[in-house]
Amino acid sequence: MYRKLWRHRDLVLSLVRRQYQLRYRQSMVGFAWAILPPLATLGAANIVFHQVAGVQAPEGTNYSIITMAALVPWSFFQNSLTSGVPSVVQASSMLTRIPFPRASLPLSMIGISMLDLSIAALLFVVLTYLIGDGLPLTALWFPILLGLEVLLVAGVTLLTSSLNLFARDVKLAVPIAMQLWLFLTPVMYPLESVSESLRPYYLLNPMTGLVESFRTVLISPGAAPELDLLLPTIIGAVSIFLLGSWYFAATENRFADVI
Amino acid sequence: MDSVVVAEKITKTYRVGVGRARVREMTPPPFDSALSKVFPKWWWKGTFNALEDVSMEIAGGSCVGIVGHNGAGKTTLLKVLAEVTAPTSGKAIVRGRVAALVDALVGFHPELTGRENAFLLGSMHGFGRKEMASRIDDIFEFAEIEEMADTPVKRYSSGMSARLGFSIVTALELEILLVDEILAVGDANFQRKCIEWLEGYRKSGGTLLFVSHNLGLVRSMTERLVWLDHGRVVEEGPTDKVLPIYAQAMERRDGGHRVYNRKATKKAMESRGMHRWGSGGARVEEAHVNQTRPDGSALEVTIDYESDDVANGVFCVGFIDESGREIGAAISQPIPLDVGKGAIRCAIDNMPFRPGIYFPVVAIVSPEGEVRDRWRLDRAIVIERNGHQSVDGFGAIELPSAWSSSESTPRVMGRTS
Repeated sequence: MYRKLWRHRDLVLSLVRRQYQLRYRQSMVGFAWAILPPLATLGAANIVFHQVAGVQAPEGTNYSIITMAALVPWSFFQNSLTSGVPSVVQASSMLTRIPFPRASLPLSMIGISMLDLSIAALLFVVLTYLIGDGLPLTALWFPILLGLEVLLVAGVTLLTSSLNLFARDVKLAVPIAMQLWLFLTPVMYPLESVSESLRPYYLLNPMTGLVESFRTVLISPGAAPELDLLLPTIIGAVSIFLLGSWYFAATENRFADVI
Repeated sequence: MDSVVVAEKITKTYRVGVGRARVREMTPPPFDSALSKVFPKWWWKGTFNALEDVSMEIAGGSCVGIVGHNGAGKTTLLKVLAEVTAPTSGKAIVRGRVAALVDALVGFHPELTGRENAFLLGSMHGFGRKEMASRIDDIFEFAEIEEMADTPVKRYSSGMSARLGFSIVTALELEILLVDEILAVGDANFQRKCIEWLEGYRKSGGTLLFVSHNLGLVRSMTERLVWLDHGRVVEEGPTDKVLPIYAQAMERRDGGHRVYNRKATKKAMESRGMHRWGSGGARVEEAHVNQTRPDGSALEVTIDYESDDVANGVFCVGFIDESGREIGAAISQPIPLDVGKGAIRCAIDNMPFRPGIYFPVVAIVSPEGEVRDRWRLDRAIVIERNGHQSVDGFGAIELPSAWSSSESTPRVMGRTS
């Protein structure tokens, strides 16, 4: 599947371009949509979790900063999934006519989410210099962690987008699943505020290790990611990636029939 | 030349109905074949074969037609050969760049402009942006919609998107082209342009697989024909041989409607696909058409009729071509009719028709012009190429003509001999 995809890498780029061209067409504020969602979520988290529920950031850090550091990778995960899951079904007219590598559809959605990610990341950098202590040198870990996240996102998206073709329940379940997943991932609160007894279960969620590691490397003074946090994520991301790729490749030649 | 398309015992099974969560489809291999062995009854419930054991070969550079009634599996076969869908069993081997033009939509995204869609479709067929950029002007020039290039495709008329779809395909330098009835859309001018392009494409060595209900087009474009019925190959061979059998079978299938209605108008009946109508009073009971010369150029038609109280009748034997156009008729003088049953014979010694397939119509008309019974027979006559030159595009009538060499008059066309 990936060899075929590499030969059609132009196609993935074209699909990303298409999505980019389409996104703000006939919308009023256009580009501002890339910045508004993370800012709005940050604002809501500040009110609900910080002010009302009283969630505190660890000593010496700012709640907005630690939340934003997790929101950036989380939004990437969420955007990729919500746009990736229906992407195959939406392309039915091409699917039933042209024999292109089907995986380019969900993967190009990850590509477009990557653009949002870079805008959100810029926003984070601005915030750290405005209200935080700036970026530490360990921020250079960012691409490595991002690579790990892409692996995880690709696996989940490939699996769910192909399953969605056979059972549209998947698409209907995505919003609620994303909401629950967000609450069960230490995004709007730090992992430290989770009780010790619950933490082992928290680590079963590959996103937990990821967002915590992003925080560790991005927030001053900065440190290398902790291995015992990252290891479950690495295992989870790789196995989900393999599972998703296998299932997509095994079923993609039926897509045109069942759509 | 070698075969560039080989279909080996292709079977394609679909499931009918919408279904809920489709466990059978979502089970990935190798678990699906295991399941189908453990629960064969449940597994194969509600399935039908769109294609069954279809085998065929297409030589490089040839043009093969696929005919069959609706639901015969023509489009499914194209999709399997284009690798849009995988056969349930059997194998399709296609050597070379292939594309299927299944219909006018060709997979456009409605929100994108024509230009953006062209780039996207190009990249789906493996063309990079640069390669497409050098062709894009030609594409819109061929489609004759340059002014629409930067308008979203959703605002195109169906004719425009068909033009664009075909034009993009012309730019893709394909070795094998699978065309499904796309020429049915667009105006006559563009159709002619497409056909000209297809002819040029074939001359330059392209291979063409062609699905159409337009038998005239099939006859002029293809050299071999595959006739599919309910997913099986009924007949496969040279077009000249297969087409007449197919045409007759189609006529037999569709024909046989008997309608008598005093108020019935010709238009209303024909729009309902009726092959027989008239005001009655005198009826054609039976009509036999015999081709008395092997090439089909002479006919003898016998008409058995029955008259209630009508004293005179004008008999007509007419011919309709593949596209339903009325070509010509033999028309009698008013003939006194026997009350009760009678018979009449019509001999046509020299059909002035060019090679092709024609469908006879017999009719009894009153001397005042009232159609009493008009019956499109459920058979076809074939006029073969025997002695005729096969030249396309000059209509159905061959004019009686005498030709002589002009060499004795050297001034013709300013040529010196």
